[in-house]
Amino acid sequence: MKKLILSLLLISLVALTACGNGGSQETSSSKESKAKGKSNFPNKPITLIVSFEAGGGTDTGARTLMPYVEKELGVPITVVNKPGAGGWVGWSELARAKPDGYTIGYINTPNLITGYVNPSFKRKENLDSFELIANHVTDVGAIAVRKDDDRFKDINDLVELAKKKQLTTTSTGVGSDDHFAAVKMNKNLGTKFEAVHTKGFGENLSNILGGHVDVMFANVGEVVKPQEEGQLKVLAVMLPERSPLLPDVPTLKEAGMGDISSASARGIAVPKGMDKENLDILRAAFEKGIKNAKHQEKMEDMGLLVDFRKGDDYTNMLKDEEANVNNLKELLGW
Amino acid sequence: MESLLQLLSGFETALTWWNILYCLIGVSLGMLVGVLPGLGPTAGTAVLLPITFGMEPVSAIIMLSGIYYGAMYGGTITSVLINTPGEAASVITCLDGYPLAKQGRAGTALGVAGIGSFIGGTVSILGLAFIGPPVAKIALNFGPPEFFALMVLGLTLVVGLMGKSLIKGMMASVFGLTLAMVGTDSLTGVARFAFGQQNLVNGFDFVTVAMGLFGLSEILTNAESNVKAEKMPKVKGLLPRREERGPTLAAIGRGTGLGFLIGLLPGSNSVIPALMSYSLEKKLAKDPSRFGKGAVEGVAGPETANNAYCGGALIPLFTLGIPSSPTIAVLLGAFIMHGLTPGPTLFQTNGNFVWAVIASMFVGNFLLLIMNLPLAGVWAKIATIPTKLLFPIILIISVLGVYSVNNSLWDVGVMLAFGIIGYFLKKGNIPLAPIVLTFVLGKLMEDSLLQSLTIFHGNFWAIFLRPISGTLLSIAIAALIVSLITGIKKKRSPYLDGDVEM
Repeated sequence: MKKLILSLLLISLVALTACGNGGSQETSSSKESKAKGKSNFPNKPITLIVSFEAGGGTDTGARTLMPYVEKELGVPITVVNKPGAGGWVGWSELARAKPDGYTIGYINTPNLITGYVNPSFKRKENLDSFELIANHVTDVGAIAVRKDDDRFKDINDLVELAKKKQLTTTSTGVGSDDHFAAVKMNKNLGTKFEAVHTKGFGENLSNILGGHVDVMFANVGEVVKPQEEGQLKVLAVMLPERSPLLPDVPTLKEAGMGDISSASARGIAVPKGMDKENLDILRAAFEKGIKNAKHQEKMEDMGLLVDFRKGDDYTNMLKDEEANVNNLKELLGW
Repeated sequence: MESLLQLLSGFETALTWWNILYCLIGVSLGMLVGVLPGLGPTAGTAVLLPITFGMEPVSAIIMLSGIYYGAMYGGTITSVLINTPGEAASVITCLDGYPLAKQGRAGTALGVAGIGSFIGGTVSILGLAFIGPPVAKIALNFGPPEFFALMVLGLTLVVGLMGKSLIKGMMASVFGLTLAMVGTDSLTGVARFAFGQQNLVNGFDFVTVAMGLFGLSEILTNAESNVKAEKMPKVKGLLPRREERGPTLAAIGRGTGLGFLIGLLPGSNSVIPALMSYSLEKKLAKDPSRFGKGAVEGVAGPETANNAYCGGALIPLFTLGIPSSPTIAVLLGAFIMHGLTPGPTLFQTNGNFVWAVIASMFVGNFLLLIMNLPLAGVWAKIATIPTKLLFPIILIISVLGVYSVNNSLWDVGVMLAFGIIGYFLKKGNIPLAPIVLTFVLGKLMEDSLLQSLTIFHGNFWAIFLRPISGTLLSIAIAALIVSLITGIKKKRSPYLDGDVEM
């Protein structure tokens, strides 16, 4: 019996290594083609810090993209999860890492920015501690209610009622994009939304379906499937343009609510002070990897919209967000 | 009847050679991440998720869910043998599993845990298959106020775990609650008790704390006693003694129900049913003083409950698309990556797929049972290794395990610190069980209270006005009053010198 178990375990191990080997062969072949270039960066494995737990949106997005970037760079990229402090355990480490290009990481808005704007955390690092590579995903904010909730036909009904009466909204935590979206609406439109903070989307969905919380503030990637399943009714998206994933849903602007946008952007950055030539190698590799059509298709299947941005375009997006957060400081009591 | 036919056709898919192989790989890996202290099923599934891209969706989900429920079996082993929980759900197993191992009955503890896990796992999957959709709808009535009431009820159970001295028990409980306060306030986002330390902003990690309090402190206390080549007790059989069989089976039955029901509630975790089952068994036992000294029910109940929890927790995912725990969120990601959407229509649109996955869980639980029962005897021999060899190995495994969770040395430091705290608490005869209980429940209780108060616009009494939460809170208050009265009565009784309550 003992032998049988041992052999079974061995078989499973062999099967697993076989699965893993598939990828490394491809990377070695592209390494040869790269050897022609001047700089020999990168010549050893790169560590990619994901500041959230394994299995979250950032993590799955990162793990989906990395094989394509590995192909470009010719070295393996190891995803390491450093969750905690709303992402800042990982970000502090990234900012303090040696700027040699072998430690890179994901940065997320608005958490990165709220983490240093909130005075109670007393953080020294900020946006200037990083050098940006590219934005990968922008998950746009969406407002939804339960499908059979007949208090609201459309977004106008919702806003009208919210002006008169306190309505509760879902939030994945203080300073999250969901929380900010509600606060922005309160500021610009005079609504009385109050956020119920939980740890994640799962709890929020069940609070909405069970009728415990009135309005769902979430991201498009999260509400597309529940809407198809007939659980939720998405009332509006919070970007100037409509989302290709939800072409029938109006934007807040279309509904006459002015310029209120909300999104969670996830991109890749390195610590400040990295060699310019090597930085360009990384930037080129990520650009090709993110623009790969197969990768984009896979991400879209997961409900995530790839939003490639580089250079000033990406920097300005983050600066805008920073200004946005600073504008709301008062309302949050910071 | 219709479901039964579909289940049978699911077995057709699940019992192909490839799918059995993937199931086996999944449950073996699950066992492995369960056994390794610190590394849990969430990390295990997340790391393997990308590997499944090229696989058939059915095989991929079969393998990933195998890791999920396999881990619940594996976690038991280290709890029993070396008093170091392999993952969160097995923390409570240390309380009686380890004393059993010390008496040479590690085989019994592991055997009972294996059988209980199998029964709990299988019954809850039956529940998933046949009554999933209606119960999931009912479970939606459980919002933050109800969750808060359930946590209060859970907290009243702590009285049963207090030990001989009420004051020392209270000290332990308050210590646990204080630990739960460390971290960011979920309503305002202000860091509490973090002292400018980045790593404290998210509070303490449960498994890390438990590994220090139980595992490390055990090494320290043992190391100080003169470690002579003490003759280790011989390993006895896998089955409990005849007189223990009745209560053990009853504990398994109650654990199954408890685990399944709590699994239905989003936001819960597998620790809660295990803790509640343990307290419940102690309350119902004829002689509660045996608990903590090697009561077989104290292992059987919680170990069954955490496996039954797994099946129950899949119901909100399969029927509503709600991921009720981090590991299930990874599974949800896997579903979506393979082009399947869990939700109310999943059974209709992808019926064959769902039933194949459900059928594979029966197969997987069966594989785990035949892996675990013979292995229990093999594992149990570890308990006979001389301590001077065993302790350094445990220490290395614990440090590696804790480090691997978040790749952080801070966590290792936390474990060492709690090892030392645990050592002194043991010296002072302060019970450790209330600390972990209040630590786990305290956090959840605070969050759900703050959520409820937001919902009710600050009106606390509204919680009493909702039917489910009101009932649960009333039961909690009644339970507290009753145990206070009996406590006072016992004090007066000359026959019992307080030895009854552990």
